[in-house]
Formats: sequence, structure tokens, C-alpha cells
Amino acid sequence: MKDSEITDQQMSEEVKQNTYWKSLSELANNKEYQKFAEREFPENATELTDGVSRRGFLRVMGASVALAGLAACRRPVQKILPYSRQPEDVVEGVPLYYATAMPVQGNLVGLVAENHEGRPTKLEGNDLHPASKGGTSIFNQAAVLGLYDPDRSKFPLQNGNKATLADFESFAASHFANTGQRIAFISEANSSPTYNNVKELALSKFNNATWVTYEPFGEDNVLEGNNIAFGSRLRSHYNFENADVIVSLNDDFMSSTHPNSVEYAKQVSSRRKVTDTNGEMNRVYAIEDSFSLTGSFADHRLRLKASQMEAFTYALAAALSTRINGLNAFSGYSNEFSDHQWITVLADELAANAGRAALSAGAQHKPEVHAAVAAINQALGNAGSTVNYLEVPHLGDQNNNTAFANVVSEMKSGNIDTVVMVGVNPVLTASTDFEDALSNVETVVNLSDYVDETSKKANWHVNRAHFLETWGDGYSYGGARSVIQPQIQPLHNGLSEIEFLNLIVSGEMTSGYEMVQETFRGYYSSGFMNRWKNILHDGIDTADNFESVSVSLSSGFASAMNRATSNVSSTSGIEVVIRPDATLYDGRYANLGWLQELPDPMTKITWDNVALMSPATAEKLGVGEFSSSTDKTDIVEITVNGESIEIAAWIQPGHADDAITLTTGYGRKGIGRVATSYIDYTAGGVDVYPLRGTNNMFYGSAEVSKVDGKYEIACVQDHHSLEGRDMYRQASISEYRENPDFASFESVHTYPVPGMAEMRENEDDDGPISLFDEQTYPDHEPQWGMAIDLNSCFGCGVCVIACQSENNIPVIGKKEVKRGREMHWIRNDRYYVGDDQDSPQAVHQPVPCMHCELAPCEQVCPVAATTHSEDGMNQMTYNRCIGTRYCANNCPYKVRRFNFFNYPKEYLTTGDDPDIIQMAMNPEVTVRFRGVMEKCTYCVQRVNRAKIEAKKETGSPKPADGTVKTACQQACPADAIYFGDLTDDNSQVAQMKRNERNFQMLEELNTRPRTSYMAKLTNPNPALA
Amino acid sequence: MAQIFPKWTNQVPRKILIGLIVLLNVLIFGVWYFFSPEYTDVGYAPEQPVPYSHKLHVDQLGLDCQYCHTNVFDSKFANIPATQTCMNCHNQIQTDSEKLALVRESWETGKSIEWVRVHNLADYAYFNHSAHVNVGVGCESCHGRVDKMEVVYQAEPLSMSWCLDCHREPEKYIRPVDEVTTMGYQIENQLEIGKELVDKNNIHAPTYCQGCHY
Amino acid sequence: MSKYQYVPEPALVKGDHDFASLTRLVTDINLRPTPKGWYLAMIGANALLFTMVVAIGYLIWEGTGIWGLNNPVGWGWAIINFVWWVGIGHAGTLISAILFLFRQDWRTAINRFAEAMTIFAVMCAGVFPAIHVGRIWAIYWVFPIPNQMAMWPNFNSPLLWDVFAVSTYFTVSFLFWYVGLVPDLATIRDRATDKVRKVAYGIFSLGWTGSNRHWWNYEKAYMILAGLATPLVLSVHTIVSFDFAVSMIPGWHTTIFPPYFVAGAIFSGFAMVLTLMIVARKIYGMKEIMTDDHMEKMNIVILVTGSMVGFAYMMEFFIAWYSGVEYEQAIFILRATGPYAWAYWAMMTCNVLSPQFFWSKKLRRSVGFTFFISIVVNIGMWFERFVITVTSLANDYLPSSWDYYSPTIWDVLTYVGTFGLFFTMFLLFLRFLPMVALAEVKAVIPQADPHNYDEETNEYHAPEIEVPEPQSKKV
Repeated sequence: MKDSEITDQQMSEEVKQNTYWKSLSELANNKEYQKFAEREFPENATELTDGVSRRGFLRVMGASVALAGLAACRRPVQKILPYSRQPEDVVEGVPLYYATAMPVQGNLVGLVAENHEGRPTKLEGNDLHPASKGGTSIFNQAAVLGLYDPDRSKFPLQNGNKATLADFESFAASHFANTGQRIAFISEANSSPTYNNVKELALSKFNNATWVTYEPFGEDNVLEGNNIAFGSRLRSHYNFENADVIVSLNDDFMSSTHPNSVEYAKQVSSRRKVTDTNGEMNRVYAIEDSFSLTGSFADHRLRLKASQMEAFTYALAAALSTRINGLNAFSGYSNEFSDHQWITVLADELAANAGRAALSAGAQHKPEVHAAVAAINQALGNAGSTVNYLEVPHLGDQNNNTAFANVVSEMKSGNIDTVVMVGVNPVLTASTDFEDALSNVETVVNLSDYVDETSKKANWHVNRAHFLETWGDGYSYGGARSVIQPQIQPLHNGLSEIEFLNLIVSGEMTSGYEMVQETFRGYYSSGFMNRWKNILHDGIDTADNFESVSVSLSSGFASAMNRATSNVSSTSGIEVVIRPDATLYDGRYANLGWLQELPDPMTKITWDNVALMSPATAEKLGVGEFSSSTDKTDIVEITVNGESIEIAAWIQPGHADDAITLTTGYGRKGIGRVATSYIDYTAGGVDVYPLRGTNNMFYGSAEVSKVDGKYEIACVQDHHSLEGRDMYRQASISEYRENPDFASFESVHTYPVPGMAEMRENEDDDGPISLFDEQTYPDHEPQWGMAIDLNSCFGCGVCVIACQSENNIPVIGKKEVKRGREMHWIRNDRYYVGDDQDSPQAVHQPVPCMHCELAPCEQVCPVAATTHSEDGMNQMTYNRCIGTRYCANNCPYKVRRFNFFNYPKEYLTTGDDPDIIQMAMNPEVTVRFRGVMEKCTYCVQRVNRAKIEAKKETGSPKPADGTVKTACQQACPADAIYFGDLTDDNSQVAQMKRNERNFQMLEELNTRPRTSYMAKLTNPNPALA
Repeated sequence: MAQIFPKWTNQVPRKILIGLIVLLNVLIFGVWYFFSPEYTDVGYAPEQPVPYSHKLHVDQLGLDCQYCHTNVFDSKFANIPATQTCMNCHNQIQTDSEKLALVRESWETGKSIEWVRVHNLADYAYFNHSAHVNVGVGCESCHGRVDKMEVVYQAEPLSMSWCLDCHREPEKYIRPVDEVTTMGYQIENQLEIGKELVDKNNIHAPTYCQGCHY
Repeated sequence: MSKYQYVPEPALVKGDHDFASLTRLVTDINLRPTPKGWYLAMIGANALLFTMVVAIGYLIWEGTGIWGLNNPVGWGWAIINFVWWVGIGHAGTLISAILFLFRQDWRTAINRFAEAMTIFAVMCAGVFPAIHVGRIWAIYWVFPIPNQMAMWPNFNSPLLWDVFAVSTYFTVSFLFWYVGLVPDLATIRDRATDKVRKVAYGIFSLGWTGSNRHWWNYEKAYMILAGLATPLVLSVHTIVSFDFAVSMIPGWHTTIFPPYFVAGAIFSGFAMVLTLMIVARKIYGMKEIMTDDHMEKMNIVILVTGSMVGFAYMMEFFIAWYSGVEYEQAIFILRATGPYAWAYWAMMTCNVLSPQFFWSKKLRRSVGFTFFISIVVNIGMWFERFVITVTSLANDYLPSSWDYYSPTIWDVLTYVGTFGLFFTMFLLFLRFLPMVALAEVKAVIPQADPHNYDEETNEYHAPEIEVPEPQSKKV
């Protein structure tokens, strides 16, 4: 244990001064590490393109010169390593696609993995899987990087010293032979039937065993709430597709932090795809404390302290009780919110839309709130239509929040001999007393991806296998059963949670494959193999395995509510809310550079967490604005019962007053180069978990004061107002019906695009006359175009990660981002609209390259490195670029990105162990060298592959509509991005561009962008307007 | 006043001037020619771990290219065959030949044979075999008379302008798809046949950057 | 005898000088042993030059990232310095070519000096476009050289025009300067006593004997070169301004740029000449050749061009408002009030305000004050380039991509370093070449005038001109 701590210290000492990728290289030079590099890959992982795909494609233009120099000969000698025995249906150079699934907080999301000669490089959503329907979340996209993360734990540790798996096996066999010992199993949420079978075995084998499912942001409050309401722990599974009115009580169900975000995002956005003036839209209300994605998507948003949400909910229930039956428990009740305008409006709205409305509340609120919500939904008759109450066997009967607290106290009092932790990291995420409690336990065993805070306290740490490495199974949030299919041999011979637990229970190793098959044999006694094949092929077995029960209020409900309503408490003074971070969740993704560098969807901050507060609160505390010229912001000290932290303060318009929101996952110490935070403020943020107590897990009152000093923040957007400019256009649906082309330049500016009228006279309405020769587009070529529907986009940022994964975009570290050199090819602009500083509207606008037909960048390049292709794309030829940056200057959309340093080298090939990160690279895309410009290519590698295939099959290089999707388009859970051939009148994109909502950004510049936008529509309630 | 310089120096400035002009031109031409793949790469014939003779197998035994390079019509790679392919025959014939020791070893151990790559485009140049052979670009056109090669060597420069020669005027080089693997294919009315094929196969070889560079 | 008297122009060379004394005054500098002060100055200059070499070396090793550039602001100090140095490089050719064609004899005192300054300034300027690119090793792609990629440069690009404009300007200026030097080099050759000098100057004076035929050819060549150089004076900065004007960034995309850049260039060029001249003439005792009258004349040019520049600033605002383009309007308001207001007002004070002092004859003739203003002006002109280059890029169309630009130590070192290059060259010039166009100065002293000069008495008689009385109305 000691040693590991020491090395950690040295580690963070070494890398303190360095940017993230620099430190990665130090990692590679670290002796320990090199050893594993040697036995990284099992022989059979080599492939024909070993020479090419893994090393070859990383040698970039210019670099080959250097190499020739090294080799001191005409050219570097490359080896080609063919297979010895050809695996079936592997065609070298043609990627294979396998269905698999990713567990997100225990719930599976169906995915399809792109696999290059045994090397998964990209994950896409599985159209057949209900929890994905082809969409993904940022966490799904980033999983590939997680697989190849060089900081993953690579071997078991015994008291911090390196051990082998065999050692652990023998230990397990002997130690767990004693079935009488008092064991506590602390496991992450896991829906796997196999896993739960083994769990049952464990509980039956060890008669003194207790089992706790621990999730830092689990759903137990909801389950308990439904328990109060309906008498059993049911999961509320919404079906927003049927909902005309959606009310979110601080429930951010669209953001990736929600276990079912993808399905929900699809459902909600699917009701906003208005194609003509007859189109109908759902109406979304959000009541929340800090600005969430759901809040920014809502038509109406009310800011309220988290602690007031309870009173608000009861007031709403009370108001409804006068309008509909079934809420007698609240009749007569009133509180400070009872005559709030929103209560009346919501009550009317819900009553009017009974059966077609959905009310949801955030899991951070206490069970009673959820009970009330459940009762309301039930009374409105939403149950069964907009929300299903599901019987979920594996969730069990115990309230895990309390159960966990009990275990901790048991441990404290030394009543536990052995703690087995599976995939959890309570030392970090639980209240501080867990750590002391752990010290009273004799044997601590833990399975985790990283040597994390908990592993360091464990006597035995076992390195966990990534879900792309091992077999597994499980259920989606809504109950669809799938098999997790591995894509590659375990890189570090880790164990899956199934194998691990089984080893502990049975004392012997059984492969996950056998165990999962065993489970499924149970379901299908006959014709198993065919069935199995289908499951693996489709990535899904059967859809609805959780019974949707018809609910009725329990007898105890009324009394419970009376108790609750009689002592509603809301914190006085400033309250602190602890939320899972929008990009790192609870910290489990903290070592993934892609996610660290993905700007927070609302604040646009990278690499850091901050204390969010409203302008008014900031003024009260004397906190000033972030200075974009020095990149510095004020620091506040936050104290919650004894524990206190110092963290950068950030003014968030639309945040509730007297409240501060903190996000988790930052400030990790020594778990990896990316996650580790350094004192000198170069990266990392602050760990806010210490503020968390067992009783106030999610929010509580706190003392906050500004302290001296400044903190440097890498925020990718300095300016948050549109300055009255027209690049974002929106209207209410009624305005739209009155004036369908409200989005056109003419109706925005009251005059047509200068020079347009003249051109129209001579039947040419492409745009005003241009001094430059117009491009010629031959008929045999498709003409690519993109339309982005601002009415669907809610700003989650998955497009950014998908693009980064598809196009080998390097991570550059906080320092470089702070200098304004982010490399993302597609960015998500977020503007605050409206005069009211306190509750503005927030709008999101994804901006990739516009692929202008008259591209300003093309005219100014001295060496013709950026030119136009016959299929209408603005091409960037890296190997011709000399890097004058003139094109970037002249781009009015500022979408071009420059390699100021040799980012890919830092990122991929430093040190002696390049392979592992390199394996995450897409072999179809050049890795760019220092000094060249790059930008969105419309995923030309996909386009060209599709064209070649189409040519082979049909003889024409025009792929059928939908056969080629850009990475951003494919990943988008809201289907906000349309891409295709404009010469095909029936193609989706062509139709969208014909829609009157379609507009071009900066149309008056006559750049004739191929990427256009569809104006946003809102559906406000007249009563609130 | 005494002369500082002899008479001949009068000519020096003129000579220097002309000399410079000549030198500059020579330099540019030299770089243009001697630094080009045509000069540096053509004829590159590295020694292979196994002395496999295309001459023997193709010319004398009459193997078709596709017997080994199976994926050429489906993939961007014309794959190097797995050891398996060699063993199909060589578990019967030449079973104890010295030259085949490495092949047998690879077959037993499952380790790959490390062939040395001959035709090597820069990594930023995307080349797809299937896109070419499926419209009738012969193997021969880029790889030369492989059937006459004891040791494989690079027959063409594979430089950008060389590629463009064909992309600009495919009809000069194109052949019927079923003749793709033919060695020594020759017809006297190439141009008109070529034109027909170009129309028939709807060939529009890209000459814009992204055809190959991305 | 009329009451009106002809007032002759003040003599261009003060003091009682004849050909011989002038020859001595000028060429002795090159012939007498090197003064200690020169060595000291040279050490300083070389130190700076070394800094530049280091800065550039590190730049090439690490990449352009060592500079403060970021996403919206792709051009920073490098381009600013480039434009600034090129601008300074305008005075020389203007003085020697245009003033020559206009028969402005006063130019003779300073043209050699100014031309040298021009050439060295253009050298400094030339450094930047070369090093600011991401992949220096591929920069030769901007030249149309036949190659195996079958690729040519893009002749639409202003950057490419730059390459040709600047290199042409440099070549012509250099030839012009050299041709002018030949007779003077010969003079030094003939006065030189030691072998080394004889040979060295001998080589470069190309066997000049001063024969009638030589002079005839020389005058022709000089005239032709002057003719060639004149349009270049205007073209170079016009084309440099195209780098901005041709693009579509608000604040750049404006037709006023060419004249306004040229005016600014002359403005800064003259200021730089003055700065150097005032120092040099003091150290080398050239007051009698580079007189206060010269200084005053140049100050007037500065006053005029400065006012033109000021007018251009006003015009930009007017056009931005008049065009009705919101982005144009926004950028000019942002320049004056936005994050870079400090730079904008620095520019205004230095360029528009400071030259106005020269309305007063007293200040025009005050050496100290002129020296001070000449430096202020060059600071101002640097800020002008900064304001143009950075502010427009930092706040263009999409507010989301606005970002603040600040330089790093490497930007500064590279800039300071170029002064090292400049002064090193200049010191070498002062030491080894005649800093005054001796032959031409001789031509403008009375002795050169065959008339009104009495060979015996060595006396100069001003021509007596009868100025007729004006006609009165009523006859």
C-alpha cells in the first residue's frame, strides 16, 4: 500500500509542470510501464496491416522525411505481417461491425463496434436497441478511449505491490473457503442476470454476507418514492413520445448523466420535428436550480433552489387536487408556492392534458417528492401511457442508501471481516467516514478499472476488464435484454465483474463466455445456438423483460404525505448542490482526455469544475466576472459541516439565487495522467466529494466566502451574447404559423440579401454575383450537403466526441485550450438570449465546417492546399499545407483548426509505448502533423468508401440516401443532423433544405455554405408569455 | 595610376552573372528529376525472407494473381496471402525445401512471415485496389510484368503526377475488367476500346485532392 | 532697380566646402581606423541579432505554438512586424527615386543613407513571412517550380503576390543603391592607401574611371532604375495591404487600404530616416551636409503623410457607418471601445496627434523634438499594424469564437531580434560605405555650377535677376 502511494506522489511530482500529453510520454518512459508494453498484445492480435494500420498511418506527411533520415536509406523499410491462418470473414482493410452493449450505471445501451482487424476503433448506436435507436451519449462514444487508456490498471495489487492473477486466485480459493466470515459485498448497479445469479450464489454460500448496491447518484429515491406511492419499488420509465406536456422537476433526463438519456432525448426531440405549419410540438417545462440541458431545451424554465423543489411539488399536487380526483392526500394543503403563477399554470396545463402529460423529478430529491410525483402521474392517468412503472427484479427490495449507511457503521464497529467491492469507488465518492470505516476491516478486495482511491486502501486490487474485452449481459433501462460481445482480447488480462465474483464464490476461474451462455441456455432450452447467433447479430434478445405493472395508491400513502407535507424544510441561506458532472459523471470517466476536453455544455469550461452561482449571488459574495483576457476567475471557499474546499467561482446566468452547484469527478489524485489534478492550477479542478455527508448526499446548506487569489480557467467561449446578430434564428410555433419563412434573411433584416434581387431577375438565385469563378459540379458526382435542425439539438456535445473519435483529433491539454487552440472540428456554440440576466434562454448551435461553395479560405491559400472537390466539399489537403493560417483568418465561421504544436506526436508516439493509444485511431484518417491546418471534412473517408462501394455495386458513385452518415449525424441522439446528396430531390437533407425553416449562416457574405440550419421553434404557454 | 586588376577581370562580372543563371536552372532541373520517385524508387527490390518467385508461380505454373491476393476486388488492400495459402500446395510438394523452412515454421508456430513491403505509398495518399481493378485498371499497369520478376521490384514511380497521367486520360490505360489480371495485355486500338470502356464503366477518375488525400 | 529682390534657396551644403573637403569629410570615415564606439555598438547589435537567431531556431524546433497565436487570431506579431518593417522600407526608394525624378536636389544629402535603411528594413521584414508558416521546410512550394506532384501555387492568393512584390522591390532597391554607390566606391578605392582596401573597393567599383562614357552610362542606368523603382514604391505596400483588403474579415475588407498603407509607410519611413540621420550626423559631424533644412523638409513630409493617415482613420469609420454592414460597424466601435481600446488610442495619439506639432516652424527645426517625434511615430505605426491585424481577427463575425490575443516572450524576442539584424547591417554600412552620395552632393554645391563662379577669385556671384514690377491697374 505504501509503495503505491509513494509512486503516485512521484508521478504527480514529475508531471506537475507538463501538459497532459507530455506527461503521457513520461508515463511511457516509466520503467514499470514498459514491462507491460512488451506483453501488451496476445500473438493473435497481430494483423496484416500491423505494419500499416498501427504504425504506418501514424507516420504523417513530412514525418516520412525525418524517418528516411533515420533509416539513412532511400526509404523506411516497412514489414507486412500476413496471418498465419486466415480468420474467417476477415477481409483486410474492410472493417467489420459487431453488436455489443455498454453498461451505463448498470443499464445496457446497445452499440455497434467498428472493428479493424480485431481492433475496435469506433462505437455507434444500435438501431435495433430501444435504449439507443442508433443514438449514443458522450460516454458511449468515449468508451473506446477508455479501452485503450494507458493508465488503466494492468495487474492485481496485493497491499499495493504487483501480484499476478494466479496469486489472487490462490488467495481467493483459500480466503473465501471460510463461509462463516462476515462479508460485505459493495457492488455498482448491475443488471446482468448472470451477475445476479452469482450474487444469489454468494449470498447463499456466505451465510453472514450482506449485499449493497452503491451508486453515488443512484435511483433509489425514485424507487422508494414509488414504494411509498404504490407499495413496491418500481422504476419510472417514461415514454415521452406520448407526452404533449412534459414537466421536469429538476430532472435532467436529456443529459448524458441520466442512465437512459439517449432513449429519452430521442423521445422528446421526436415530438419537435415540425416539417410544416401544421406540425405539432410537445411543450416542455423545467423547474431547476442550475441550468441543465433539459432546462435549455425547455419552452419554459423556472429557477428554484433544490431544497424548495419539495414544497413546490406538494403545492402543485395540492393545486391539482382541486382539478382532478385521486390526490385527496393533498387537498387543503398550501404553502408559500401555492399562489405562485407557475403552480396555477402547470396545474391547468396538466389537468388539461391528463393522460398525455409526463411529470418527472430528479433522483436527488427525497422519496416523498417522487411519491407525490408518482401520485400525480397516476391521478392524471399518465401511468401506462407516458410513464410505465416497471417491476425490475435485480433492483431488490432494500433501500440501498440506508443499507449502505448501515454497512458503513457496521464496518466502523468492526463487525465486518471482509469487504468485496466490485467496480465502486466509495473512498472517493462516499462520505469521508467510509475511509475510516474501511480501516477497521481486515480484508478488503476490490475490482476496478484504475488503481483508484479505493484500490489503494484495498489489500487486494484486481484489474477489471473493459466491457469491450469480455463477455457479459444485462438489461436496458426499459428492460431490453442484450449480450455484451467482446471486440478484442483483454489487453491486460483483466477480469470482468462476472468472472471476478464467480472466482470469489466458486474459488475457480470460469470464462465469462461460458457463464453468459449458461444463463441464456436457461432462457432457451431448445434451438439455443440459432437464438444465440441472432442475439449476437442483432445485439438484442427480447425487448420488454420488465413487467409494467398497473399501479394504484397504497394505503399508507396519504399518511406518509401528511407526515411529509407537515415538515417541509428548505435550507435557509446559501445551499450547495452536488451534481454528477456533465462530462465526467461521478469521476469514473475522469481519465478520458476526450471528455475532459469536451466543453461543459452550459459553461463551456474544459478540464475543470467550478462553483456555479447566479449573478445576484455572485454580487452578494463579491465574486467578479471571468476575465477573458487573463483567463482568470475568483475563488470561493465552501464549507459544509466542517469540511471545506476552495474552488473557482463561475457566474451562471439562470442559476437559482442563494445556491451553488458543484460537479463531481475532478481533483482526482494519482489515478492517471489525465485525471490527476495539480496544485499549480494547470489542470484538474477540485474534488467536491468531501462536502458530501451520508445525510446530505445531494444538497445542503453551506457557508461560502470569497477568498484571495485567482484561478485560471480554460473556457472555449468568451462571449455569450449574440450581439443582436442573426446567426441563430428562432420563433414561437404560433409566429411560425403566421409567417412560415420567419427564418429567411429578408424577414430577419426586412431587406433581401444585397445583390440578390438583381440575380433573381436573371434566374440565378444561388446567391449574389461573385468575383470568383463559381465551382463546376459534374452530373456524375453526388453533391453533399448538411442541415442542422436547431429545433432538435439540445447541446449534449456527443457530436464533438464522435467526431474526435472518428477523425483522430488529438487532445491538447488545458494549457493549450486556455490559449484558445482547441482542435474540435465541430463545436457547440451556446448563447444566452433575452435581456433578463437572471433567467435568460440558452440556445445551442453546433458549428462544423460550412463547406462553402465560394469558400473564402480557398481563395487565399498560397499553395492551393485547400480547394473544392467535384462533389461539393471544401477539401483540406494536409500534405500540401504549409501553415500560413491565412485560410483560418479568412473563415467567417472560424471552424478551421491549426496544429500549433505536434499534438499527435505528444498524443500518440512519444515514449516507447505508442501502441496502446494508437490503437484507438481510425486507420482511414491521416494523423495531422505539426504546422498544418485541419477542419471538418464531412467525414470524407466514410463518403469515399460509400462512393467506391456504390460504384462497385451500381456503377454510379452516388450512394443511396442514408448509406453514408457523418460521425456527428450518426451519434446524435436527437437526430438533429441531416447529411446527404443534394442532387437527389428525395434525400432527407434535400427535403430539409427545401423547408422554410432552413437558413444559411451569414448568408449575406455570399459564401454559399453547404451546411445550413433549421431555425428553432418554441412552444410557449400563452398563460406564461 | 597603377592598375590594381589585370585586364581579364573585365570579363569576370559578365561571366559570374551568366554562371549563376545556368547554375540555378541546373539546380531546379536536378531537384525536379533526381529527387523524384521516378529516380529514387523505381527498381526498389528488397530481399524477401522467403525467396518467393512470381516468375515461377505465375509465368510457369500459371497461377492467377487472385489465387493469393484474394481481396483485391473487395478491399483497399491486395492482401499478402496467409501462410495457409502457401501450405495448400506446399504440404504436398517441396515439403522439405530449404527455401520454405520459414513458411513451415510460420505454419507450425502461427507466427507471421515478415515480408518486406515493396509498393509503399505515403500514408496521406489513400489508395484503394478494389476501386481500380473493378473498373479495369490492370495489375500490370502499376506493378509491371510481375510474371517476369524473380524478385518483386517497383516498376512504376507511383508519384502523384504519374497517378494523374491515368486519372486525366484513363482511356489510354483502361482494359476490360476480366483482363485485369492478364499480364502483357496489348491491343493496337487501345484508345477507342479505352474510350468505350470509360463510357461503359462510367469512369470519372477524380482529379481533385480528396480523391486520394484525407 | 526694382524693390523686389530674388531670394535664392538656402545653400544645400552649409559651411565653406569645396570638392576636396567634401571628399575628405565623407570618405575619411571609411578610411580612418575603426573607432572604439563602433565596436561597442556592434557588440550590442550582434547580441540582439543572436537573440533573433535563437528565437527563430526555437520556433522552428518547437512550432508556431511558442507564439501567442490562437484560433481566431492566426496572425500576430510576425505579420505586424512584417508590415511595419516593409513600411519603414519605403522612405529610401521614395527619396532616391521619386525625389530624383522631381529634381529635388536636397535628396542628395540623405538618399544613400535612406536607401541603405530601406534595404536593411526590407531584410528584416523578409524574415517574418518566411518563419511564420507552420512548415518552413515546405515553404518553397510558394514558388512556381516544376515538380512531380504536378502542383502549382495558387495565383489567387495575396500572399503569393507578396512573395513576388517584396522580392522584386528588394532586388530593384538593392541594384539602385549599388549603382549609385559605384562612383563613390571608386573614390574610396583611389584614396585608399593599403592593398586590401584598394582590392576590395576596386572589385565593387567595377573598374570605374570616371570617364565621360562611364558617367554617361551611369546617368542612364540611374535614370532607368529610378523609373523602375518609382512604381514599386507604391506597388509593394499596396500589395501588402491586399493581404488584408482582399480577405473578408470586417475591418480588413476595405478599398481604402492601399493608399492608406502607402501613406503610412512613407510616414514611418521618413520618421526612421530622421531617427538615424539625427544620430549619425551628430556622431560623424555631417551637420553641414545633412542640415536642419533637410530635417525641416522631412518633417513637412511627416506632417503631410501623418495627416493623410489620420484622414484615413476617420474615413474608415465613415465608410463602416455608411456601408450599413453591421459587422463593419461593430468592429470599428470595438476597436475604439473594446478589449483593445488601449492599442487603438495609442495609435491615434502617436500617428494623428503627434505630427500636428510640426505646423510650428520652431518645432520643425528643433533637433531634439524631431528626434522624439520620429520615434513616437514609429511606435504609433507599429500599433496601427497591431490594431488592424489583431482586433479584426479577435472579434469577427461569430461572437462565440471571439478570443483575446496576447503575445508570448518569443514574439517579443523575435521582434527585438530583428533590430539586431537591422543595426548590424547598418553599422557595417556606416563603417565601410560612404554614407552620403558624394558624387551627387558635389553636383549640388555652387562649385559644380559652371556659371556665376569666378575661377580666378574663387568667388560665387549670385545671379542678378531683374524682377519686373507688377502692372498697376490703372495705366
